[in-house]
Amino acid sequence: MTQSRHDWPSLVASRSDAPAPPRASAARIGVGGPVGSGKTALIEALIPALHRRGVDLAVVTNDLVTKEDAERLRRSGLIAPERVLAVEAGACPHTVIREDPTLNMAAGDDLEAAFPGLELVIFESGGDNLASTFSLDLVDWWIFVIDVAGGDDIPRKKGPGVLKSDLLVVNKTDLAPHVGVDLPRMLAEADAVRGGRPVVATNARSGAGVEDVADAIAHAVLFRE
Amino acid sequence: MIGDLLAIWQADTAFPSGAFAFSNGLEGLAALERGLPADRLEVVIEGALRRRWATADRVALLGAYARAGDMDAVAVIDREVEATTLCEAFRTGSRRNGAGLLAAHARIGTPGAAALQALVRSGDTPGHLAVAQGVVWRGAGLERDGAVLASGYIVASGFATAAVRLGLVGAVAAQAVVRRLLPVVAELAATDPPERIESFAPLLDIAAARHARGELRLFSN
Repeated sequence: MTQSRHDWPSLVASRSDAPAPPRASAARIGVGGPVGSGKTALIEALIPALHRRGVDLAVVTNDLVTKEDAERLRRSGLIAPERVLAVEAGACPHTVIREDPTLNMAAGDDLEAAFPGLELVIFESGGDNLASTFSLDLVDWWIFVIDVAGGDDIPRKKGPGVLKSDLLVVNKTDLAPHVGVDLPRMLAEADAVRGGRPVVATNARSGAGVEDVADAIAHAVLFRE
Repeated sequence: MIGDLLAIWQADTAFPSGAFAFSNGLEGLAALERGLPADRLEVVIEGALRRRWATADRVALLGAYARAGDMDAVAVIDREVEATTLCEAFRTGSRRNGAGLLAAHARIGTPGAAALQALVRSGDTPGHLAVAQGVVWRGAGLERDGAVLASGYIVASGFATAAVRLGLVGAVAAQAVVRRLLPVVAELAATDPPERIESFAPLLDIAAARHARGELRLFSN
């Protein structure tokens, strides 16, 4: 049997003519980063900031062994619980956002089907290490969250998350003096390794810097100023 | 040769379908009081191949493959899978895995994928994995025998990979198990399928049902 590269057999009929391959209509962004860096806290702070901008949004979490992050968001009172879906990561937080993002893609599709008019789906990665990156099959744009308590040498280690993310967030800035971190130097080193791509310093708990992150999302994927 | 290559393409775990997130009862078995000794792993996988894959998944796959051009007939098979899958965790897992496979093939543009995906999204059919495999693999050009072998291989390989991540067996030892089970897949693939879907794997059903209530888990089922 021979088959040319572009020769699909026409064995499956007609109804396939009607719907074109689905295109995501809501923007999809990722939030990744090491365990404990404040990904869930940042999303909790972003939800009201994005709501104030009139953004219709939903969240998909990728917890590693529980549904802790999904339950935390559902109970937060910040967002309707049915707008938060949990996708188990099968012990592989990398895989579910990069090598095989299909379960997350399907969860995003489910949310779009359930909430017509949805503009933004936020995918929260399970806590991981500095090597995690998001597949562009899944998201249009992604944030990597590190924190000062993880050590001011993280930018210098040049992990793929630090280098390749569209926005690097350095969280827990309030802890810098308590953990012996020179924050201005850490931010300068982050700028230096990222070749001009943006870095935002935040304290998700107090809200410092969160508006800058919300502005970056609105500008990058929602085309709002 | 293209038929063989297409089957390898779809059996390869690098093809994204969401399968990695499902242990299909293995995590529940490992959590039982007596655990799952490494020497029992092969017995468990062979049991799943003989009593579930060969008589249930394979039957649905073949039915959907044969009727891939008739979505109404495909939906009948899909509902039969739904009705004959006792354990809720397996029903949900099979639907989610099917949705993952359809998501990938719809993006690629495989004939049949977008049509079945639309039916699933509208709630007209559950979209079980074996049914989705039958439709999209026919659309992708796999031959019937290659589709059956790919499906059986994915079951054996999926259990072995889950066992590695659960710490039941080493990555190399797991492949020794897969190697010993390949003749079982080949033997079962060559048998005539039963007329209707039937399955009897009660230990896995019970393990998955217990797992579904667990708070701590790595896998979806």
